[in-house]
Amino acid sequence: MSNMFKLKLTALGHPNPENFNCEDEKEYRSVILWLEDQKIRHYKIEEREGLRDIDADNWAEAYDAYQRDLVSPAADGNLNEQLSWILSYAIRLEYADNVEKYKNAKVEEQKKAAPNVVSSNPLDNLDFSNPAFKAGVERVSTIVGVGPHSDPKIRLAAIAKILKTAPHPEPPKTEANIIQQPADVLKLLFVQDLRNLQTKINEALVAVQTVTADPRTDTKLGQVGR
Amino acid sequence: MVVRQYNEELKYLEKVNPYCWKIKKGFQPNMNVEGVFYVNNTLEKLMLDELRNACRPGMTGGFLPGVKQIANVAALPGIVGRSVGLPDVHSGYGFAIGNMAAFDLSDPKSIVSPGGVGFDINCGVRLLRTNLHEKDVQPIKEQLAQSLFDHIPVGVGSKGIIPMNARDLEEALEMGMDWSLREGYVWAEDKEHCEEYGRMLNADPSKVSLRAKKRGLPQLGTLGAGNHYAEIQIVDEIYDKYAAGKMGLERIGQVCVMIHSGSRGFGHQVATDALVQMEKAMKRDKIETNDRQLACARINSAEGQDYLKAMAAAANFAWVNRSSMTFLTRQAFAKQFKMAPDDLDMHVIYDVSHNVAKIEEHIVDGKLKTLLVHRKGSTRAFPPHHPLIPVDYQLTGQPVLIGGTMGTCSYVLTGTHQGMTETFGSTCHGAGRALSRAKSRRNLDYKDVLNKLESLGISIRVASPKLVMEEAPDSYKNVTDVVNTCHAVGISKKTVKLRPIAVIKG
Repeated sequence: MSNMFKLKLTALGHPNPENFNCEDEKEYRSVILWLEDQKIRHYKIEEREGLRDIDADNWAEAYDAYQRDLVSPAADGNLNEQLSWILSYAIRLEYADNVEKYKNAKVEEQKKAAPNVVSSNPLDNLDFSNPAFKAGVERVSTIVGVGPHSDPKIRLAAIAKILKTAPHPEPPKTEANIIQQPADVLKLLFVQDLRNLQTKINEALVAVQTVTADPRTDTKLGQVGR
Repeated sequence: MVVRQYNEELKYLEKVNPYCWKIKKGFQPNMNVEGVFYVNNTLEKLMLDELRNACRPGMTGGFLPGVKQIANVAALPGIVGRSVGLPDVHSGYGFAIGNMAAFDLSDPKSIVSPGGVGFDINCGVRLLRTNLHEKDVQPIKEQLAQSLFDHIPVGVGSKGIIPMNARDLEEALEMGMDWSLREGYVWAEDKEHCEEYGRMLNADPSKVSLRAKKRGLPQLGTLGAGNHYAEIQIVDEIYDKYAAGKMGLERIGQVCVMIHSGSRGFGHQVATDALVQMEKAMKRDKIETNDRQLACARINSAEGQDYLKAMAAAANFAWVNRSSMTFLTRQAFAKQFKMAPDDLDMHVIYDVSHNVAKIEEHIVDGKLKTLLVHRKGSTRAFPPHHPLIPVDYQLTGQPVLIGGTMGTCSYVLTGTHQGMTETFGSTCHGAGRALSRAKSRRNLDYKDVLNKLESLGISIRVASPKLVMEEAPDSYKNVTDVVNTCHAVGISKKTVKLRPIAVIKG
């Protein structure tokens, strides 16, 4: 978290971002005041008194009121979350003031430490937090009769268990497509694999035939019956 | 057999829907499960007439009517589900031809019966496609028919042109189509498009009598007699464009070759030998059946296991036999068109068995069970995505090849999920006899039969013209009725209709 604060403070031009300690109450308060004084300027100067008195006991109340006035969504969160939002807000304002200047900024692509591994198995690349994935699991769960659980991966494991042990439940007519389509795709992929295997088998047989085959006929042996 | 008036018998039969009849318990003694048969109006009449005739006083001898045979099979120990009669059902030895029955492997009393497989073990149909069009073949079909006739020996007592010694035969019995593949008679893709990949792994040639091997050795690569044939056929109608496309049948007029053959004298001898053994086993294990022809043995008895191993060897024999004829067919076409079989795109579409018993997994009453499925005159028809069908047909379902009778059309169907649940993934196998062989000989004249074929523009080569009336279309049920019933019931789906332009026959 503190690293993120450091980056954001540096971006905003804070005089001492390196040594900022968000755990320290005094430093925290002074950063909030610095942000309002220098960047956000939501209050008139005289209205900033409550925030300016960083040693006072009622600073927290003033800070709370300040956040309500900014309509911060993090107002009910912890101190770090609150600071994080205010920092981002300040950056947003800074950017809005100088759109022209920042617009052309380019981020240099960082070199990746790890080699870029592209998995050939599409299942490895599933995004479990994807809402579409969650919705899909939700729908399959209702068909199979798996109860609710906050983690879709656990529900998926439960579904797999049921499908392995019990005969496959008959999907309701309206939902049949959800089961049918992926099943059809899997079957087609399987058939393709099987074809490749069979072709290799045939090639192996033909290779052996080049050694063993010697088909002969002898018409003298032939005899038509009655 | 219980003797009742025809009207009394009918009380045990219930028409469940326009295509399905139920045979209730009590129709024959000791039925463990119910029976069922699938018929349309025309076939229904044939079935019930057969029963009515058998109910007339003084009718003894000959085979029991098909309905009675289905019910007798329902009384065999260990049977699960239902004893199923397919639309082409007609009386046979013990089991009706067109009867399928499954026995629970986990039940120690369950049986295996050679009568439930048939004497021509692994009789089946193979379909080859070409990239030729009817107009390429019509002008030279006489030469082509002759060329096929010269390459593939036919008839009773015919001998094959592929040189084999006793050791080759032993290997072929054990390896099935892998032997043909090793020796270079077939392509790797042929094995891929064959039921069981052309090899039953439990085959054990040491369980086969010397006599069977002696009969079998010279017959490899021959078509045989009876209802067996090789036909040059034309795609006449396509009902399911997607499935047909997956089989490489893209357009009306495309030329195919159908080979219908089995394990010749070899399979017959294996079945005969087993029946003798089983009669002893029945006495020892006190197995009671309603019909002496239903000789059987417990699956896990020595006799049962020996039969299954010998049957598997006979099945392998039949696959090698059809593979050899595939090779000879390709040679005949290559010579005639002066092109390599590769360039003629002469791939095997599929190869089905319609006389065999196999261990399969099925869902019975919601539980997965391992069953010994007897299919006699019944073709396996597995649905899309079944693990035992080739990858190319995973989306369409297994191709089911239904050979018609000489001079009538043939069909390609595909397996369905409904067939999997209703009939253990089984469907019909062909037209099914309407007249017995003897009756056909009495009622029909062979010259009329040959003339009729000629008037239809079908070239024909036969080894024994005087037996041709046994196989005349009039001796059989209408294959279109049979196939339409299977389609209507939903146990398989119509895909392609083929019509013959040249036939070679024993």
